[in-house]
Amino acid sequence: MQTEAIKRVPIEATGRLRALMREYFLGLDAAARDPDRRVAWCTSVGPCEILVALGFDVYFPENHGAMLGAKRLSHELIPRAVGAGYCPESCSYMNSDIGSALTGRSPLREAYGIDGPPTPNLLVYNTNQCRETQDWFSFFGRRHESPVMGICPPGYLGAVEPAQVAYVRGQLVRLIGQIESRFGLKMDPARLEEAVSLSSRASTLWREVLETARTRPAPITFWDGLIHMAPVILMRGSQAPIDYYRALLAEMEDRVRSGVGAVRDEQWRIYWEGMPVWPKVRELSEKFFDLRAVVAASTYCNSWAFRPYEGGDPLEWMAATSTEIFINRDEAFKQAFLVEMFERFSIDGVIFHNARTCPNNTNCRFGMAQRLRDKQGMPVLVIDGDLSDVRFFSTAQTMTNVEAFIEQLEGRR
Amino acid sequence: MTGPLFVGVDVGSSATKCVVLDAGGRIVGRNVRPSGFNYAQSAQASIDAAMRACGGSARCMTCCVSTGYGRADVPGSARRVTEITCHARGARQWYPAARTIIDIGGQDTKVIRLDADGRTTDYRMNAKCAAGTGTFLESIAVRLGCTLAEIDALAMRSTGQARVNSYCTVFAGTEVLERIKAGQPREDISMGLFRSIASRVLEMVAARDGPVAATGGVVAYCGAMVRALEEALGDRVLLPAEPQLAGAYGAALLGAEMDGAADPGSGVPVGEGAERC
Repeated sequence: MQTEAIKRVPIEATGRLRALMREYFLGLDAAARDPDRRVAWCTSVGPCEILVALGFDVYFPENHGAMLGAKRLSHELIPRAVGAGYCPESCSYMNSDIGSALTGRSPLREAYGIDGPPTPNLLVYNTNQCRETQDWFSFFGRRHESPVMGICPPGYLGAVEPAQVAYVRGQLVRLIGQIESRFGLKMDPARLEEAVSLSSRASTLWREVLETARTRPAPITFWDGLIHMAPVILMRGSQAPIDYYRALLAEMEDRVRSGVGAVRDEQWRIYWEGMPVWPKVRELSEKFFDLRAVVAASTYCNSWAFRPYEGGDPLEWMAATSTEIFINRDEAFKQAFLVEMFERFSIDGVIFHNARTCPNNTNCRFGMAQRLRDKQGMPVLVIDGDLSDVRFFSTAQTMTNVEAFIEQLEGRR
Repeated sequence: MTGPLFVGVDVGSSATKCVVLDAGGRIVGRNVRPSGFNYAQSAQASIDAAMRACGGSARCMTCCVSTGYGRADVPGSARRVTEITCHARGARQWYPAARTIIDIGGQDTKVIRLDADGRTTDYRMNAKCAAGTGTFLESIAVRLGCTLAEIDALAMRSTGQARVNSYCTVFAGTEVLERIKAGQPREDISMGLFRSIASRVLEMVAARDGPVAATGGVVAYCGAMVRALEEALGDRVLLPAEPQLAGAYGAALLGAEMDGAADPGSGVPVGEGAERC
């Protein structure tokens, strides 16, 4: 216990986060049982503000996929999805979520005492992340006989042109019309602007929380971020994440003032590129802690740090943020983004996670790691694994790789 | 002969290796044995045997550094260092000009790049798959009812250019059976297995800045592996006298450096068996 106490400086806001998450999931469960309320499923960087403004309770299945991975259930559930015709090397979030539905097993039961994800009245995807979101939602649309709608922004962009944003805005207008028509609703523009404004404020605060890790020692790590990012994904468009991130930011700023680091005797500052390895987050975080290495920044946790909304057309903001996110950009943009992040966070080395079932959020498959090493002089490590399917991950080999990487960094000093 | 002894232990997935250095950095004791089920016992037995070989004892051991898959299980280890750093250190000591180290072990294959000062600049390990490792060869050998030595002997007699192309060990086994059915000479099929490993290794060699040295158990026991590597690289591969000991040797060298014994020499073995301490 003493060792654990020395190892971890607990984040006080975590208790509040747990309560917030409980309230969120119980609220969703209640909404799904109430004939007067409607539940919409939405992708994690999908147009949730529209759904909030139209009165839906919004649920994000990717969160459930991550939970299935973190609880080490995915490898038991994925075979059921494979049996239903889904490739074992397709998105393990999707496959484990489908397997969860087919078996009725969900960590939500143990965590919150509810049967599982809420039954959707509507499913809305955004393919700015990957096409799998469309296929994933289509499975559940068929299963629940619920409408599946979505938008498909142009992908792999360098500079984002106004015409591309206008094109996506047009899709959002059409989406609103489809939902209004299907459910007999009418969008209140003021309500949409309010949802966008709340969403943006939460996102900005989240970015500020992440930015505190620029200081040395970093008060927060990527591993903490994986827990504390939940509100900015699940509760966008509401006041709750704003209040939460204000408290978290205050705590992190206090740590900065007091010189409290998330990792004892921080020696190395690492950047994590790619998806987390959810089933191994705890082991990996402890390994980095023992090596006195702080994973100070990541692309993943920054995925919900959008540009601020500064008034004007809320749909244009939604269209722009949907289109310009990192995952939707070309290699040159991504490389420039990474180089800037390395400088901002004083990074000593970068770890790329080559996630077997998530090619779209894996950025070491087209020479990026070599380019960063050769042109930027940045030490780079690529580890093989997966976001949820632990069968693609070798703990011993990965831990050796991580240790050797730190030894390599030590050799450079 | 008296003086401190520095011990390096490399607990690999297949074999445990131990090297003992004297104060001059010369290898005075060594041992190789199967890792078995109990890494701690294997490591201790390997240390004891290597110590006996040089007339030393536990009280003479100044520093023990452990490496390899079972590095956390070595009794009395003062420091645990990854096999990547240790193989690089050992090979570098034998071949100061080497810039690329290829280590082919039982479950891991590593390609390590060094700069002119011997620092690791980059390394790669095989993905989570047996293809390209010693386990691949062992698996196919079992399927063919041969020993690894027999496969190597057959391969060394090959005059053909056969290749086994499958990435997967299981599918490679099937491919071998297909070639046997097709009447391809056993010698050529055997050499194809080594070429398969060499092609996987080549994928991990991002760039070559200078001479290549090979270490690990597979090149220690299989001349055909060295031949396949040289074919793939189109160049000579530096092969130390005891390539399987490179990791343990590197670990012992790091132990000597920790202790301030800064002149490790070339590690050339001296006579064994003299009483020490």
